[in-house]
Amino acid sequence: MSTVIKVENLSFSYKNGGNFVLNNISFQIEQNAMVMIIGPNGSGKTTLLKILIGLLNPNKGSVSILEEKPDKIRDKVGYVPQKLGFDKTFPITVLEFLKFSHPTISSQSIIKILKNLNIKKLQKSLLGELSGGQLQRVLITKALLGEPMILFLDEPVSGIDIGGEQNFYQLMREIQKDYNVTIIMVSHEINMVSSIATQVICINKTMLCSGTPEKVITPKIIKELYGENVSLYKHHC
Amino acid sequence: MIELLQMEFMQRAFIAGMVLAPLLAVLGSFMTLRKLSFFADGIAHASLLGVAIAIIIGILPFIGALIIGILLGITMYFLEKYSKLASDTVVGIVFTTGMALGIILVSLQPGYQPELISFLFGNILAVTWADIWTITALSFGILLIVYIFFRQFILISLSKEMAWTSGIHTKYLDLLFYIFLSLAVVLGVKLLGIILVSALLIIPPVTSKLIARSFYSYVLFAIIFAFISFIVGLFTSYYLDLPSGASIVVSATIIFVFILLARSFIFSKKKL
Repeated sequence: MSTVIKVENLSFSYKNGGNFVLNNISFQIEQNAMVMIIGPNGSGKTTLLKILIGLLNPNKGSVSILEEKPDKIRDKVGYVPQKLGFDKTFPITVLEFLKFSHPTISSQSIIKILKNLNIKKLQKSLLGELSGGQLQRVLITKALLGEPMILFLDEPVSGIDIGGEQNFYQLMREIQKDYNVTIIMVSHEINMVSSIATQVICINKTMLCSGTPEKVITPKIIKELYGENVSLYKHHC
Repeated sequence: MIELLQMEFMQRAFIAGMVLAPLLAVLGSFMTLRKLSFFADGIAHASLLGVAIAIIIGILPFIGALIIGILLGITMYFLEKYSKLASDTVVGIVFTTGMALGIILVSLQPGYQPELISFLFGNILAVTWADIWTITALSFGILLIVYIFFRQFILISLSKEMAWTSGIHTKYLDLLFYIFLSLAVVLGVKLLGIILVSALLIIPPVTSKLIARSFYSYVLFAIIFAFISFIVGLFTSYYLDLPSGASIVVSATIIFVFILLARSFIFSKKKL
Protein backbone atom coordinates (compact mmCIF):
# COMPACT_ATOMS: atom_id res chain seq x y z
CA MET A 1 0.00 0.00 0.00
CA SER A 2 1.24 3.47 -0.80
CA THR A 3 1.28 6.52 1.44
CA VAL A 4 -1.40 9.05 0.48
CA ILE A 5 -0.83 11.62 3.23
CA LYS A 6 2.44 12.58 4.85
CA VAL A 7 2.56 15.21 7.62
CA GLU A 8 5.94 16.17 9.07
CA ASN A 9 6.57 18.42 12.09
CA LEU A 10 3.50 20.52 11.37
CA SER A 11 2.81 23.55 13.59
CA PHE A 12 0.09 26.12 13.14
CA SER A 13 -0.94 29.37 14.78
CA TYR A 14 -3.85 31.60 13.69
CA LYS A 15 -1.82 34.72 14.56
CA ASN A 16 1.80 35.45 13.69
CA GLY A 17 3.76 34.92 16.88
CA GLY A 18 0.66 33.65 18.69
CA ASN A 19 0.17 30.37 20.53
CA PHE A 20 0.34 27.24 18.43
CA VAL A 21 -3.04 25.54 17.96
CA LEU A 22 -1.10 22.57 16.58
CA ASN A 23 2.47 21.82 17.60
CA ASN A 24 4.89 19.42 15.98
CA ILE A 25 2.38 17.01 14.44
CA SER A 26 3.69 14.13 12.31
CA PHE A 27 1.91 11.10 10.84
CA GLN A 28 1.38 9.10 7.67
CA ILE A 29 -1.81 7.65 6.19
CA GLU A 30 -1.85 4.70 3.81
CA GLN A 31 -4.14 4.23 0.83
CA ASN A 32 -7.63 2.84 1.59
CA ALA A 33 -7.27 3.41 5.33
CA MET A 34 -10.27 4.35 7.46
CA VAL A 35 -8.79 6.98 9.75
CA MET A 36 -10.29 8.75 12.74
CA ILE A 37 -8.61 11.88 14.05
CA ILE A 38 -9.74 12.19 17.64
CA GLY A 39 -9.28 14.67 20.45
CA PRO A 40 -11.32 16.80 22.82
CA ASN A 41 -13.03 20.06 21.83
CA GLY A 42 -10.46 22.74 21.05
CA SER A 43 -7.69 20.19 20.44
CA GLY A 44 -7.05 21.44 16.90
CA LYS A 45 -8.76 18.59 14.98
CA THR A 46 -10.74 20.81 12.62
CA THR A 47 -7.72 23.08 12.12
CA LEU A 48 -5.67 20.02 11.16
CA LEU A 49 -8.38 18.97 8.70
CA LYS A 50 -8.46 22.44 7.17
CA ILE A 51 -4.69 22.23 6.68
CA LEU A 52 -5.02 18.79 5.08
CA ILE A 53 -7.55 20.06 2.54
CA GLY A 54 -5.50 23.22 1.86
CA LEU A 55 -7.83 25.80 3.40
CA LEU A 56 -5.07 26.81 5.85
CA ASN A 57 -1.30 26.80 5.42
CA PRO A 58 0.96 25.50 8.21
CA ASN A 59 3.45 27.90 9.82
CA LYS A 60 6.05 25.17 10.14
CA GLY A 61 6.53 21.69 8.76
CA SER A 62 5.16 20.11 5.61
CA VAL A 63 2.02 18.39 4.37
CA SER A 64 1.87 16.32 1.22
CA ILE A 65 -1.30 14.76 -0.14
CA LEU A 66 -0.74 12.29 -2.97
CA GLU A 67 2.77 13.79 -3.17
CA GLU A 68 1.42 17.27 -3.86
CA LYS A 69 0.67 20.36 -1.78
CA PRO A 70 -2.94 20.17 -0.51
CA ASP A 71 -4.23 23.18 -2.50
CA LYS A 72 -2.91 21.68 -5.77
CA ILE A 73 -5.01 18.53 -5.69
CA ARG A 74 -8.45 19.81 -4.81
CA ASP A 75 -9.96 17.69 -7.60
CA LYS A 76 -8.69 14.48 -6.00
CA VAL A 77 -10.14 14.98 -2.55
CA GLY A 78 -13.71 15.18 -1.30
CA TYR A 79 -14.67 17.25 1.71
CA VAL A 80 -17.77 17.02 3.87
CA PRO A 81 -17.89 19.94 6.33
CA GLN A 82 -19.45 19.73 9.77
CA LYS A 83 -21.90 22.48 8.88
CA LEU A 84 -22.61 24.15 5.57
CA GLY A 85 -23.57 27.39 7.33
CA PHE A 86 -25.84 28.59 4.55
CA ASP A 87 -29.08 30.59 4.51
CA LYS A 88 -31.77 27.95 5.14
CA THR A 89 -34.12 29.79 2.78
CA PHE A 90 -31.59 29.35 -0.08
CA PRO A 91 -33.85 28.22 -2.93
CA ILE A 92 -31.80 25.42 -4.45
CA THR A 93 -32.83 21.80 -4.96
CA VAL A 94 -30.60 18.86 -4.13
CA LEU A 95 -30.27 17.98 -7.82
CA GLU A 96 -29.42 21.59 -8.77
CA PHE A 97 -26.80 21.75 -6.02
CA LEU A 98 -25.15 18.56 -7.23
CA LYS A 99 -25.31 19.60 -10.88
CA PHE A 100 -23.85 23.05 -10.15
CA SER A 101 -21.08 21.34 -8.17
CA HIS A 102 -20.30 18.87 -10.97
CA PRO A 103 -21.53 20.36 -14.27
CA THR A 104 -19.94 17.69 -16.46
CA ILE A 105 -21.65 14.77 -14.72
CA SER A 106 -24.99 13.64 -16.13
CA SER A 107 -28.22 13.73 -14.11
CA GLN A 108 -28.42 9.93 -14.47
CA SER A 109 -25.04 9.47 -12.81
CA ILE A 110 -26.03 11.82 -10.00
CA ILE A 111 -29.32 10.00 -9.45
CA LYS A 112 -27.45 6.67 -9.38
CA ILE A 113 -25.31 7.82 -6.44
CA LEU A 114 -28.34 9.38 -4.72
CA LYS A 115 -30.00 5.97 -5.05
CA ASN A 116 -26.92 4.21 -3.61
CA LEU A 117 -27.07 6.51 -0.60
CA ASN A 118 -30.87 6.02 -0.23
CA ILE A 119 -31.72 9.66 -0.85
CA LYS A 120 -33.03 9.55 -4.44
CA LYS A 121 -36.43 10.78 -3.27
CA LEU A 122 -34.77 13.99 -2.03
CA GLN A 123 -33.57 15.14 -5.45
CA LYS A 124 -36.27 17.79 -5.82
CA SER A 125 -36.23 18.86 -2.16
CA LEU A 126 -34.77 22.21 -1.21
CA LEU A 127 -31.40 21.98 0.50
CA GLY A 128 -32.54 24.12 3.43
CA GLU A 129 -35.46 21.80 4.18
CA LEU A 130 -33.31 18.70 4.76
CA SER A 131 -32.57 17.22 8.18
CA GLY A 132 -28.95 17.13 9.42
CA GLY A 133 -28.55 13.47 8.40
CA GLN A 134 -30.11 14.01 4.96
CA LEU A 135 -27.95 17.05 4.28
CA GLN A 136 -24.88 15.08 5.28
CA ARG A 137 -25.72 12.35 2.75
CA VAL A 138 -26.19 14.99 0.07
CA LEU A 139 -22.77 16.44 0.90
CA ILE A 140 -21.26 12.96 0.77
CA THR A 141 -22.90 12.46 -2.64
CA LYS A 142 -21.38 15.74 -3.79
CA ALA A 143 -17.96 14.62 -2.59
CA LEU A 144 -18.26 11.17 -4.22
CA LEU A 145 -19.33 12.64 -7.58
CA GLY A 146 -15.84 14.09 -7.88
CA GLU A 147 -14.46 10.51 -7.70
CA PRO A 148 -12.06 11.45 -4.90
CA MET A 149 -9.09 9.36 -3.81
CA ILE A 150 -9.44 10.73 -0.29
CA LEU A 151 -12.65 11.69 1.50
CA PHE A 152 -12.42 14.07 4.48
CA LEU A 153 -15.32 14.39 6.91
CA ASP A 154 -15.43 16.91 9.76
CA GLU A 155 -17.36 15.72 12.84
CA PRO A 156 -19.72 13.64 10.67
CA VAL A 157 -21.92 12.29 13.46
CA SER A 158 -22.50 15.53 15.34
CA GLY A 159 -26.20 16.32 15.23
CA ILE A 160 -27.15 12.76 14.26
CA ASP A 161 -29.08 10.49 16.66
CA ILE A 162 -27.63 7.15 17.86
CA GLY A 163 -29.49 5.08 15.23
CA GLY A 164 -28.30 7.51 12.58
CA GLU A 165 -24.72 7.16 13.81
CA GLN A 166 -24.77 3.38 13.32
CA ASN A 167 -26.21 3.81 9.81
CA PHE A 168 -23.61 6.44 9.05
CA TYR A 169 -20.66 4.24 9.98
CA GLN A 170 -22.16 1.37 7.99
CA LEU A 171 -22.46 3.76 5.04
CA MET A 172 -18.80 4.74 5.41
CA ARG A 173 -17.76 1.09 5.22
CA GLU A 174 -19.86 0.57 2.08
CA ILE A 175 -18.49 3.73 0.48
CA GLN A 176 -14.94 2.67 1.16
CA LYS A 177 -15.58 -0.73 -0.39
CA ASP A 178 -17.57 0.52 -3.39
CA TYR A 179 -15.54 3.61 -4.22
CA ASN A 180 -12.09 2.42 -3.13
CA VAL A 181 -11.43 5.62 -1.24
CA THR A 182 -9.30 6.58 1.78
CA ILE A 183 -11.61 7.99 4.45
CA ILE A 184 -10.45 10.44 7.10
CA MET A 185 -12.91 11.51 9.76
CA VAL A 186 -12.43 14.08 12.48
CA SER A 187 -14.36 13.26 15.62
CA HIS A 188 -14.49 13.84 19.35
CA GLU A 189 -16.33 10.49 19.58
CA ILE A 190 -13.98 7.73 20.81
CA ASN A 191 -16.42 4.88 21.36
CA MET A 192 -16.67 3.93 17.67
CA VAL A 193 -12.95 4.07 17.00
CA SER A 194 -12.11 0.42 17.55
CA SER A 195 -15.03 -0.89 15.49
CA ILE A 196 -14.67 1.43 12.50
CA ALA A 197 -11.12 2.78 12.16
CA THR A 198 -8.07 1.03 10.77
CA GLN A 199 -5.92 3.91 12.03
CA VAL A 200 -6.47 6.41 14.79
CA ILE A 201 -4.64 9.70 15.23
CA CYS A 202 -4.96 11.32 18.66
CA ILE A 203 -4.18 14.99 19.08
CA ASN A 204 -4.55 17.57 21.78
CA LYS A 205 -2.71 20.50 20.25
CA THR A 206 0.23 18.14 20.01
CA MET A 207 0.58 14.59 18.75
CA LEU A 208 -0.45 11.95 21.30
CA CYS A 209 -0.73 8.80 19.19
CA SER A 210 -0.99 7.31 15.72
CA GLY A 211 -1.58 3.67 14.88
CA THR A 212 -4.18 0.91 14.94
CA PRO A 213 -6.89 1.41 17.60
CA GLU A 214 -5.91 -1.84 19.34
CA LYS A 215 -2.36 -0.59 19.84
CA VAL A 216 -2.82 3.07 20.61
CA ILE A 217 -6.16 3.45 22.42
CA THR A 218 -5.02 2.83 25.97
CA PRO A 219 -6.45 4.12 29.26
CA LYS A 220 -3.40 6.40 29.49
CA ILE A 221 -4.15 8.01 26.11
CA ILE A 222 -7.85 8.39 26.94
CA LYS A 223 -6.90 10.08 30.19
CA GLU A 224 -4.52 12.42 28.35
CA LEU A 225 -7.21 13.27 25.82
CA TYR A 226 -10.36 13.54 27.88
CA GLY A 227 -9.36 13.50 31.56
CA GLU A 228 -9.85 11.07 34.45
CA ASN A 229 -13.57 10.35 34.24
CA VAL A 230 -13.89 9.05 30.69
CA SER A 231 -13.91 5.38 29.81
CA LEU A 232 -14.38 3.58 26.52
CA TYR A 233 -17.55 1.78 25.37
CA LYS A 234 -16.99 -0.67 22.54
CA HIS A 235 -19.66 -0.64 19.83
CA HIS A 236 -20.05 -3.50 17.40
CA CYS A 237 -21.82 -2.30 14.31
CA MET B 1 -49.60 52.78 -22.56
CA ILE B 2 -48.56 52.79 -26.23
CA GLU B 3 -49.46 56.48 -26.39
CA LEU B 4 -47.19 57.18 -23.47
CA LEU B 5 -44.31 55.35 -25.07
CA GLN B 6 -44.47 57.70 -28.04
CA MET B 7 -42.97 60.40 -25.83
CA GLU B 8 -39.20 60.28 -26.07
CA PHE B 9 -38.48 60.77 -22.36
CA MET B 10 -40.82 57.87 -21.56
CA GLN B 11 -39.10 55.70 -24.18
CA ARG B 12 -35.77 56.41 -22.52
CA ALA B 13 -37.17 55.76 -19.06
CA PHE B 14 -38.79 52.52 -20.23
CA ILE B 15 -35.62 51.21 -21.90
CA ALA B 16 -33.48 52.14 -18.87
CA GLY B 17 -35.89 50.34 -16.56
CA MET B 18 -36.10 47.24 -18.76
CA VAL B 19 -32.31 46.99 -18.91
CA LEU B 20 -31.75 47.64 -15.21
CA ALA B 21 -34.56 45.37 -13.94
CA PRO B 22 -32.82 42.06 -14.81
CA LEU B 23 -29.41 43.38 -13.70
CA LEU B 24 -30.66 44.42 -10.25
CA ALA B 25 -32.80 41.28 -9.92
CA VAL B 26 -29.98 38.87 -10.81
CA LEU B 27 -27.32 40.53 -8.64
CA GLY B 28 -29.89 41.09 -5.89
CA SER B 29 -30.69 37.36 -5.97
CA PHE B 30 -27.11 36.58 -4.97
CA MET B 31 -26.76 39.64 -2.73
CA THR B 32 -29.71 38.81 -0.48
CA LEU B 33 -28.58 35.18 -0.11
CA ARG B 34 -25.13 36.39 0.89
CA LYS B 35 -26.63 38.94 3.31
CA LEU B 36 -24.90 41.84 1.56
CA SER B 37 -27.89 44.20 1.52
CA PHE B 38 -26.16 46.68 3.81
CA PHE B 39 -23.15 46.64 1.47
CA ALA B 40 -25.35 47.80 -1.43
CA ASP B 41 -26.90 50.49 0.71
CA GLY B 42 -23.41 51.59 1.76
CA ILE B 43 -22.14 51.84 -1.81
CA ALA B 44 -25.21 53.82 -2.83
CA HIS B 45 -24.74 56.38 -0.05
CA ALA B 46 -20.96 56.58 -0.40
CA SER B 47 -21.29 57.21 -4.16
CA LEU B 48 -22.31 60.73 -3.16
CA LEU B 49 -18.58 61.36 -2.78
CA GLY B 50 -18.13 60.51 -6.47
CA VAL B 51 -20.95 62.86 -7.44
CA ALA B 52 -19.39 65.67 -5.36
CA ILE B 53 -15.90 65.16 -6.83
CA ALA B 54 -17.39 65.06 -10.35
CA ILE B 55 -19.26 68.35 -9.75
CA ILE B 56 -16.05 69.99 -8.52
CA ILE B 57 -13.78 68.81 -11.34
CA GLY B 58 -16.47 69.25 -13.97
CA ILE B 59 -17.07 65.72 -15.27
CA LEU B 60 -20.40 63.85 -15.52
CA PRO B 61 -21.59 63.06 -11.96
CA PHE B 62 -22.64 59.60 -13.17
CA ILE B 63 -19.02 58.82 -14.15
CA GLY B 64 -17.72 60.15 -10.82
CA ALA B 65 -20.22 57.98 -8.93
CA LEU B 66 -19.26 54.91 -11.00
CA ILE B 67 -15.52 55.30 -10.36
CA ILE B 68 -15.89 56.04 -6.64
CA GLY B 69 -18.51 53.29 -6.27
CA ILE B 70 -16.12 50.65 -7.69
CA LEU B 71 -13.17 51.95 -5.64
CA LEU B 72 -15.19 51.88 -2.42
CA GLY B 73 -16.54 48.42 -3.25
CA ILE B 74 -12.98 47.12 -3.66
CA THR B 75 -11.92 48.94 -0.46
CA MET B 76 -14.74 47.29 1.50
CA TYR B 77 -13.84 43.87 0.08
CA PHE B 78 -10.21 44.14 1.21
CA LEU B 79 -11.07 45.74 4.57
CA GLU B 80 -13.52 42.92 5.28
CA LYS B 81 -11.01 40.31 4.24
CA TYR B 82 -7.87 41.55 5.95
CA SER B 83 -8.91 43.82 8.84
CA LYS B 84 -10.85 41.03 10.63
CA LEU B 85 -13.59 43.60 11.25
CA ALA B 86 -17.22 42.56 10.93
CA SER B 87 -18.77 43.23 7.53
CA ASP B 88 -21.40 45.65 8.85
CA THR B 89 -18.70 47.60 10.72
CA VAL B 90 -16.63 48.01 7.54
CA VAL B 91 -19.67 49.08 5.52
CA GLY B 92 -20.73 51.45 8.30
CA ILE B 93 -17.32 53.17 8.32
CA VAL B 94 -16.93 53.45 4.52
CA PHE B 95 -20.56 54.42 3.95
CA THR B 96 -20.67 57.25 6.49
CA THR B 97 -17.18 58.52 5.62
CA GLY B 98 -17.96 58.57 1.89
CA MET B 99 -21.22 60.38 2.47
CA ALA B 100 -19.65 62.83 4.94
CA LEU B 101 -16.86 63.73 2.51
CA GLY B 102 -19.47 64.12 -0.24
CA ILE B 103 -21.52 66.51 1.90
CA ILE B 104 -18.42 68.57 2.81
CA LEU B 105 -17.31 68.84 -0.84
CA VAL B 106 -20.80 69.78 -2.02
CA SER B 107 -21.13 72.40 0.73
CA LEU B 108 -17.98 74.06 -0.60
CA GLN B 109 -19.66 74.59 -3.97
CA PRO B 110 -21.73 77.76 -4.26
CA GLY B 111 -25.42 77.68 -5.23
CA TYR B 112 -28.05 74.97 -5.76
CA GLN B 113 -26.87 71.61 -7.12
CA PRO B 114 -29.65 70.01 -9.19
CA GLU B 115 -27.47 66.99 -10.03
CA LEU B 116 -27.09 66.26 -6.34
CA ILE B 117 -30.86 66.20 -5.74
CA SER B 118 -31.27 63.99 -8.82
CA PHE B 119 -28.79 61.48 -7.34
CA LEU B 120 -30.35 61.57 -3.89
CA PHE B 121 -33.86 60.74 -5.09
CA GLY B 122 -33.27 59.55 -8.66
CA ASN B 123 -35.08 60.75 -11.75
CA ILE B 124 -35.77 58.08 -14.31
CA LEU B 125 -37.54 60.60 -16.51
CA ALA B 126 -34.34 62.66 -16.86
CA VAL B 127 -32.25 59.79 -18.19
CA THR B 128 -30.38 60.74 -21.38
CA TRP B 129 -29.55 58.52 -24.38
CA ALA B 130 -25.90 58.65 -23.30
CA ASP B 131 -26.94 57.28 -19.88
CA ILE B 132 -28.89 54.51 -21.59
CA TRP B 133 -25.93 53.44 -23.70
CA THR B 134 -23.72 53.33 -20.59
CA ILE B 135 -26.33 51.42 -18.57
CA THR B 136 -27.01 48.98 -21.43
CA ALA B 137 -23.34 48.27 -22.18
CA LEU B 138 -22.41 47.73 -18.53
CA SER B 139 -25.55 45.71 -17.75
CA PHE B 140 -25.05 43.33 -20.67
CA GLY B 141 -21.35 42.98 -19.83
CA ILE B 142 -22.07 42.18 -16.19
CA LEU B 143 -24.95 39.80 -16.98
CA LEU B 144 -22.83 37.97 -19.55
CA ILE B 145 -20.02 37.37 -17.04
CA VAL B 146 -22.51 36.38 -14.32
CA TYR B 147 -24.01 33.90 -16.80
CA ILE B 148 -20.55 32.44 -17.52
CA PHE B 149 -19.75 32.07 -13.79
CA PHE B 150 -23.34 31.37 -12.71
CA ARG B 151 -22.66 28.05 -10.96
CA GLN B 152 -19.53 29.40 -9.28
CA PHE B 153 -21.45 32.39 -7.88
CA ILE B 154 -24.16 30.04 -6.60
CA LEU B 155 -21.68 27.78 -4.80
CA ILE B 156 -19.81 30.77 -3.31
CA SER B 157 -23.15 32.12 -2.05
CA LEU B 158 -23.89 28.74 -0.44
CA SER B 159 -20.52 28.26 1.26
CA LYS B 160 -17.20 29.84 0.35
CA GLU B 161 -15.34 26.99 2.03
CA MET B 162 -17.18 24.36 0.03
CA ALA B 163 -16.79 26.36 -3.19
CA TRP B 164 -13.04 26.55 -2.61
CA THR B 165 -12.74 22.82 -2.03
CA SER B 166 -14.71 22.34 -5.27
CA GLY B 167 -11.82 24.00 -7.12
CA ILE B 168 -13.44 27.42 -7.52
CA HIS B 169 -11.23 30.53 -7.34
CA THR B 170 -13.30 32.10 -4.58
CA LYS B 171 -11.04 35.12 -3.98
CA TYR B 172 -11.18 36.45 -7.54
CA LEU B 173 -14.85 35.69 -8.07
CA ASP B 174 -15.76 37.22 -4.73
CA LEU B 175 -13.93 40.42 -5.64
CA LEU B 176 -15.59 40.38 -9.06
CA PHE B 177 -19.00 40.08 -7.43
CA TYR B 178 -18.30 43.07 -5.14
CA ILE B 179 -17.26 45.13 -8.18
CA PHE B 180 -20.36 44.10 -10.16
CA LEU B 181 -22.62 44.85 -7.22
CA SER B 182 -21.01 48.28 -6.77
CA LEU B 183 -21.50 48.99 -10.50
CA ALA B 184 -25.13 47.85 -10.46
CA VAL B 185 -25.86 50.00 -7.41
CA VAL B 186 -24.45 53.12 -9.06
CA LEU B 187 -26.30 52.39 -12.32
CA GLY B 188 -29.48 52.03 -10.28
CA VAL B 189 -28.77 55.24 -8.36
CA LYS B 190 -29.17 57.23 -11.58
CA LEU B 191 -32.75 55.98 -11.84
CA LEU B 192 -33.89 55.35 -8.30
CA GLY B 193 -31.64 57.54 -6.21
CA ILE B 194 -29.13 56.86 -3.46
CA ILE B 195 -31.85 56.35 -0.88
CA LEU B 196 -34.05 53.92 -2.80
CA VAL B 197 -31.76 51.88 -5.06
CA SER B 198 -31.12 49.03 -2.62
CA ALA B 199 -34.88 48.38 -2.46
CA LEU B 200 -34.86 47.07 -6.05
CA LEU B 201 -31.92 44.82 -5.25
CA ILE B 202 -33.68 43.42 -2.19
CA ILE B 203 -37.47 43.32 -2.71
CA PRO B 204 -37.86 41.36 -6.00
CA PRO B 205 -35.48 38.53 -4.95
CA VAL B 206 -37.02 38.32 -1.48
CA THR B 207 -40.50 38.19 -3.04
CA SER B 208 -39.30 35.48 -5.40
CA LYS B 209 -37.87 33.47 -2.52
CA LEU B 210 -41.37 33.20 -1.07
CA ILE B 211 -42.53 31.04 -3.99
CA ALA B 212 -39.43 29.63 -5.72
CA ARG B 213 -38.83 25.87 -5.56
CA SER B 214 -35.51 25.89 -7.43
CA PHE B 215 -32.65 28.30 -8.06
CA TYR B 216 -33.60 28.90 -11.69
CA SER B 217 -37.20 29.73 -10.75
CA TYR B 218 -35.88 32.01 -7.98
CA VAL B 219 -33.86 34.12 -10.42
CA LEU B 220 -36.60 34.04 -13.07
CA PHE B 221 -39.34 35.21 -10.66
CA ALA B 222 -37.02 37.92 -9.29
CA ILE B 223 -36.54 39.26 -12.85
CA ILE B 224 -40.28 39.12 -13.55
CA PHE B 225 -41.11 40.96 -10.30
CA ALA B 226 -38.46 43.60 -11.07
CA PHE B 227 -39.94 44.12 -14.58
CA ILE B 228 -43.47 44.45 -13.18
CA SER B 229 -42.29 46.87 -10.46
CA PHE B 230 -40.58 49.08 -13.04
CA ILE B 231 -43.50 49.10 -15.48
CA VAL B 232 -46.24 49.64 -12.88
CA GLY B 233 -44.15 52.19 -10.97
CA LEU B 234 -43.18 54.14 -14.08
CA PHE B 235 -46.69 54.49 -15.44
CA THR B 236 -48.21 55.16 -12.02
CA SER B 237 -45.71 57.95 -11.46
CA TYR B 238 -46.64 59.48 -14.81
CA TYR B 239 -50.41 59.32 -14.38
CA LEU B 240 -50.47 60.31 -10.69
CA ASP B 241 -47.60 62.79 -11.02
CA LEU B 242 -45.54 61.03 -8.35
CA PRO B 243 -41.74 60.67 -8.03
CA SER B 244 -40.71 57.79 -10.34
CA GLY B 245 -38.14 56.08 -8.07
CA ALA B 246 -40.47 56.04 -5.07
CA SER B 247 -43.38 54.74 -7.21
CA ILE B 248 -41.23 51.85 -8.51
CA VAL B 249 -40.16 50.87 -4.98
CA VAL B 250 -43.74 51.05 -3.66
CA SER B 251 -44.89 48.86 -6.58
CA ALA B 252 -42.26 46.28 -5.64
CA THR B 253 -43.41 46.37 -2.01
CA ILE B 254 -47.07 45.92 -2.99
CA ILE B 255 -46.13 42.82 -5.02
CA PHE B 256 -44.15 41.50 -2.03
CA VAL B 257 -47.07 42.03 0.39
CA PHE B 258 -49.52 40.46 -2.09
CA ILE B 259 -47.35 37.34 -2.58
CA LEU B 260 -46.69 37.08 1.17
CA LEU B 261 -50.42 37.23 1.98
CA ALA B 262 -51.33 34.83 -0.85
CA ARG B 263 -48.69 32.38 0.36
CA SER B 264 -49.88 32.60 3.96
CA PHE B 265 -53.46 32.07 2.79
CA ILE B 266 -52.51 28.98 0.73
CA PHE B 267 -50.50 27.54 3.63
CA SER B 268 -53.32 28.10 6.11
CA LYS B 269 -55.78 26.39 3.67
CA LYS B 270 -53.41 23.42 3.37
CA LYS B 271 -53.18 23.09 7.15
CA LEU B 272 -56.98 22.95 7.52
